[in-house]
Amino acid sequence: MAQIAHPDAPRRPNIASADIQLPAVKDYDQVDREILQILQPTKAWFGGLLIALTCLAFGILSWSYQIHEGLGVAGYNPPVMWGVYIITFVFWVGIGHAGTLISAVLYLFRAGFRTTIYRAAEAMTVFAVMTAGLFPIIHIGRPWKFFWLIPYPNWRMLWPNFKSPLVWDVFAITTYLTISTTFLFVGLIPDIAVLRDREKNPLRKHILSALSFGWRNSEREWRHFARAYLFLAAFSTPLVLSVHSIVSFDFALGIAPGWHTTIFPPYFVAGAIFSGFAMVWTIIIPMRRWFGLRHYVTLNHLDASAKMVLFTSIVVGCAYVAEFFIAWYGGVQYEQDYFWNRVFGQWWWAAWIMLTCNMILPLSLFSQKLRRNPTWLFILSIFINIGMWFERFVIVVPSLSHDVEPWQWSSYVPTWVDYGLLIGSFGWFFMWFLLFIKQLPIMALAEIKEIIPPKMKQTDSHHHGGH
Amino acid sequence: MMRGMLGVFTELDSTVEAIEELKQKQLGEVTAYSPTPRPELEQAIDPPQSPVRKFTLVGALSGAIFGYWLAIWGSEYWPLVVGGKAISTWIPYTVFGFEVMVMVGALSTVFGMFYLAGIPRLTTTVGYDARFSASHFGVWCECAPEKLAAVESILRRHGAVEVRGER
Repeated sequence: MAQIAHPDAPRRPNIASADIQLPAVKDYDQVDREILQILQPTKAWFGGLLIALTCLAFGILSWSYQIHEGLGVAGYNPPVMWGVYIITFVFWVGIGHAGTLISAVLYLFRAGFRTTIYRAAEAMTVFAVMTAGLFPIIHIGRPWKFFWLIPYPNWRMLWPNFKSPLVWDVFAITTYLTISTTFLFVGLIPDIAVLRDREKNPLRKHILSALSFGWRNSEREWRHFARAYLFLAAFSTPLVLSVHSIVSFDFALGIAPGWHTTIFPPYFVAGAIFSGFAMVWTIIIPMRRWFGLRHYVTLNHLDASAKMVLFTSIVVGCAYVAEFFIAWYGGVQYEQDYFWNRVFGQWWWAAWIMLTCNMILPLSLFSQKLRRNPTWLFILSIFINIGMWFERFVIVVPSLSHDVEPWQWSSYVPTWVDYGLLIGSFGWFFMWFLLFIKQLPIMALAEIKEIIPPKMKQTDSHHHGGH
Repeated sequence: MMRGMLGVFTELDSTVEAIEELKQKQLGEVTAYSPTPRPELEQAIDPPQSPVRKFTLVGALSGAIFGYWLAIWGSEYWPLVVGGKAISTWIPYTVFGFEVMVMVGALSTVFGMFYLAGIPRLTTTVGYDARFSASHFGVWCECAPEKLAAVESILRRHGAVEVRGER
């Protein structure tokens, strides 16, 4: 007979339950009941959606004004021709990294704390990359010519330069968006089948039937699903590393001071994971409170993710220090002058926001008490989000405004159009996220059920006096 | 004409026992259902290893070749001659090889999963019960009409909360 694990016995290691227990979750019905109750709209949800739509409307207004008036209404001031749009592009690409890290890399490493947060992180990834993808289009000023970015051979004298990191970026971001969306959707199929089977409205049932592809939970389906999921995770893991490395090449292959450095790929990847985890906290901590999901996203999960944030914060901090060290040790006057200007000169305020939020405040996570304090983690996540946006500001603006030629040193002041599009990007992101959580399960029902001991007749006989 | 008998179970161990007896007596083709992947059911069914990896390999290799080819062909057809440098160079073109490898490899993996799992399918009604996605386990045994009674008896004996014949 096939081995049946007794519910109280140590279960064989598998991905969902590698190091996680959910003692307050007793059976499969409870999982469906508690997680699917999130799908009911509430006043708070409508309020959140209204705020998101207002921010988005401001962004649309700003963009429309820019299209009508031209790119001059943005704060670009030669030679600072990269500004808020590129900063925000890199920011959102970075946010998108934690989703795939949590769903793929932690899956391969059998880190059980991912199980209850990975769906939210995956959805966050898709919406963050969708948001990021808008900014190169906004940045080019003539969005109707955006397809010129795609390096397909053509007869319009646009010769694609396959050695340009900007062309690499198009391939990397396109691949990342495709694979993140695929990963999210494949994982959703069994959960959409749960919704389909509970649905009473015929129209919604038809839509859910189509979206679930007729999934039936058979052993044959699960077997191929598990194998495919493993390979998707194996593909996504190097993809996570490659995408932000390539985004970092946009800078590192330039010769501006502060950019032309080999440390950029690992520095960007660590920063992306760091900021992505912070955004996961920003999303998941209020959700676990508002929807009564503290027994799913437990303090142990938050503690584990806090250790990840602490580690990546230290990596990022080392990268900051290494940049200063190399500037001094390399003996290049322009680099030294640039870094001095960054921290003690023209841009001191931005650099110190970055250093405080990304290096100093996360050190609080050495305290276990603070790692297990959701309120502090939420506050810290906001600081990290701000700090990581300023990190990209500090990378982009000071290098361009303080180049190797003193005669073209300049400044940069964003306009209301820049801020409008920045705020609009948050509205766009949160609009999609809020719509998602009311249509589809924000936690993976099937994977959580994998953690819960299945019902056994042996257990029942014990409970009914079988001892 | 082949028909089948569907048993709905609440307990995992009962489901496994029913599957094992059905397989031992070779009464028909057995399919197991569960709300979540369970290794016990896979062990009881004892299926061959999933060949999804073959789709992954073929897709990944095709993608890598296409990625390199696209960059090399594009460069040779529209050459950007920069003093002393090769028109096509494999180091920067590895970015295209890698990214397209990942994209095509992952998409072909999903295609392989769909193909092998037999989805998309238009109907879930035959040999399926909506409870299988929630909290119940299921056994569907497709067999010749004269064996239906024996299958029903096994399913009931192992504690199925509902047994019904379907075609």
